Amino acid sequence: MFTFDPYSPAIDADPFPYYKRLRDEFPCFWSPEAQMWVLSRYVDIVSAGQDWQTYSSASGNLMTELPGRAGATLGSSDPPRHDRLRGLIQHAFMKRNLMALEEPIRDVAKQVFAQLWGVGQFDFKDVSSQFTVKVLMAALGLPMGDEALVDEKEVRDNAVLMVQSDARTRAKGPEHIAAYNWVQEYASKVIAMRRAEPRNDLISHFAMAEIDGDRLDEREVLLTTTTLIMAGVESLGGFMMMFAYNLASFHESRQAVVEKPELLVDAIEESLRYNTSAQRFRRRLMKDVALHGQTMKAGDFVCLAYGSGNRDERQYPNPDLYDIHRKPRGHLGFGGGVHACLGTAIARLAVKIAFEEFHKVVPDYQRIADQLAWMPSSTFRSPLVLELARI
Amino acid sequence: MPQITYIEPSGEAKTFQLQEGWSLLQGASLHAIDGIVGECGGACGCGTCHCYVEAARLHELPAPEGKELEMLDFVAAERRPNSRLACQIKATAELDGLVVHLPEVQD
Repeated sequence: MFTFDPYSPAIDADPFPYYKRLRDEFPCFWSPEAQMWVLSRYVDIVSAGQDWQTYSSASGNLMTELPGRAGATLGSSDPPRHDRLRGLIQHAFMKRNLMALEEPIRDVAKQVFAQLWGVGQFDFKDVSSQFTVKVLMAALGLPMGDEALVDEKEVRDNAVLMVQSDARTRAKGPEHIAAYNWVQEYASKVIAMRRAEPRNDLISHFAMAEIDGDRLDEREVLLTTTTLIMAGVESLGGFMMMFAYNLASFHESRQAVVEKPELLVDAIEESLRYNTSAQRFRRRLMKDVALHGQTMKAGDFVCLAYGSGNRDERQYPNPDLYDIHRKPRGHLGFGGGVHACLGTAIARLAVKIAFEEFHKVVPDYQRIADQLAWMPSSTFRSPLVLELARI
Repeated sequence: MPQITYIEPSGEAKTFQLQEGWSLLQGASLHAIDGIVGECGGACGCGTCHCYVEAARLHELPAPEGKELEMLDFVAAERRPNSRLACQIKATAELDGLVVHLPEVQD
């Protein structure tokens, strides 16, 4: 009998054959292991993402939600509250407002990837994680240098751990909850610091912001900041690992982008489609919905398998081919609709700059291991380690 | 399903049936229409799905709200009285036959 268990290591490693069976045979599938419905076709996912009145995020959007988080973050709230919260943060992440970050990001990239001169073999995560934490700190205005509250590596390690889940218990384990609490604690110290002496940075603005004359709920400030740190570090880092994995696996694509760095933009879009790290998110039904001969009940949870929609042959011809010239329109690599990723512009900018600089130092590389250890997560997918060697 | 016509910057008209509830941006993405970007993914956060709605039918659409009005200030092409963001217009049966023009630039 067909099963789809988003907690199983087999799904962490390669969900795509399962997605294909879901799309073809079980487009509206009840997973007993996940205790939710799974939507896997492009059209169904877009429709659900658009209909936030029916597919609510207010009970949490992570497949395995963190305690106390639902309802207090952008991703886990519905309009109109969501829109007002997003309105407070959106400006900082708009492309035109990121221009000032371009040079600092490039400096970080140069500094980080320069460590690879003369190095024949390395774990890409070591460099990508240094890069993502520094970029995030610059973008959010987290205390750095003499002002730093913690070691950068600790931020990275905890942000990565908090999104993981336990394959055996199908829940967050104590180590994941501890990491979540660590990031919350860190966020709360930063918020207090910026409230005491506000600066012209995102967290200062957000911590002092009001919606319709009301200060934001303390839990909203804390958990939204926590989520920005998590998303900034884990999602950007995870995507960079997937992009490096693709370029290390598909030699012609890598050679093309090294020769013509302007092709990186298209290669990034194709990677977002092909195997982005944000694979699955969750919604909860506010009313009964009949779909593909099934009736999903009000109150049921529903998984939107973005990673499957991106491989739907009904939308993208020859979907299992990694083709950097495809220019995939409307892909779900950043989700879509009201909850589409807040960080699209900074992610695209940072990844492009990172790989421009990485390729100056290491233009030709390949994977060392055929089999990789994949992160245990019901929501995200990326390798824990990516050993690369110069060719 | 309502039928929507997109006029690309080249002047070419492309007509498609759109699923009700989908935004005009999603319809444009689905059918790979030129002249529209939607960089933020449809969250009303970038102003790159700017379109001009046929003036005679503008009144049939729900008026733009705060966030959309704010974002319309940032569009790359000329802002006109019939400027809207395609991510904020949902296809409904009543909008059948609507025509939208897409500008030369979005970014």
